Amino acid sequence: MTKVAIIASNGGLFDAYKVFNIATAAASIDAEVGIFFTFEGLNLIHKEAHKNLPMPQGAEHFQEGFQKANVPPIEELVSMANEMDVKMTACQMTMDVMNLEKDQFVDGVDVGGAATFLNFARDANITLTF
Amino acid sequence: MQVTVNKVVDCKGLTCPMPIIRTKKEINDLEPGEVMEIQATDKESIADLKAWSESTGHEYIGSTQDGEIIKHYIRKVSKEEEKQEQKHEDVISLDELLQYIEGEEKVTVLDVREPAEYAFGHIPGAINIPLGELEKRFEELNKEEPIHVICRTGNRSDLAAQKLAGKGFSHVKNVIPGMNDWKGPTEKTE
Repeated sequence: MTKVAIIASNGGLFDAYKVFNIATAAASIDAEVGIFFTFEGLNLIHKEAHKNLPMPQGAEHFQEGFQKANVPPIEELVSMANEMDVKMTACQMTMDVMNLEKDQFVDGVDVGGAATFLNFARDANITLTF
Repeated sequence: MQVTVNKVVDCKGLTCPMPIIRTKKEINDLEPGEVMEIQATDKESIADLKAWSESTGHEYIGSTQDGEIIKHYIRKVSKEEEKQEQKHEDVISLDELLQYIEGEEKVTVLDVREPAEYAFGHIPGAINIPLGELEKRFEELNKEEPIHVICRTGNRSDLAAQKLAGKGFSHVKNVIPGMNDWKGPTEKTE
């Protein structure tokens, strides 16, 4: 089975699409997928923040393009990822730094450290960082 | 082109990665061997659904375009089908079949793939009876004539050849490997 390990360390809307598009697409080819959310990447799974992620500065005009192209909202991709058994891990250390608790994240998120991710990525076929 | 399918999936208006996610979900409900039509408007969907099929081992049969709507046809392939051992001993190669077809005599070719696969390319004049319908339709065939049974890779045609032999057909040959490697003439259903 193909195994895909992803690190999400940025918290913008574009970052969220990169992470969740690849993750759900990988899950749809029956790959085992794990995402490790760290630093600003934690925004992507934060219950409120992930519904309203910022566009990169100067790229706000793409908003209309997203609507016109009928791109699914991040919320939908997150619940899709959950439904398809994508393993989501929030980084404990950055949670402490940013003063975040597990119950502030969407359902299905586990908490772990660097070793947790490394153990998953050890035999991954594809490793990606966003 | 009118294509018979077991299920139609609506992905109109959806963008990447939703068409493949929905396809993945819906294919779980199909029986192995059944064919699904996926209707999409996303132009990327052609490359993506082909790649998805390759990754998952399902058969991407082809696509048609009807205005904005692209219709994709995918057949669910089971692992068993790929590994199955061929038992019908009387076989014929694609090259030999091509020689017969180019010759003077009339050659009966029985294509046991699904109608959608047949529609996207078959040997001119081939009769289409899907493997699953052979049991109730074998009487459409002439027992006295030599019959060349073909499918995509030689596995379904092997089962069909065994079945016909069991019904008293005495000149049944399995064409191997199958349409996947066929270099001779083909035609599409309009």
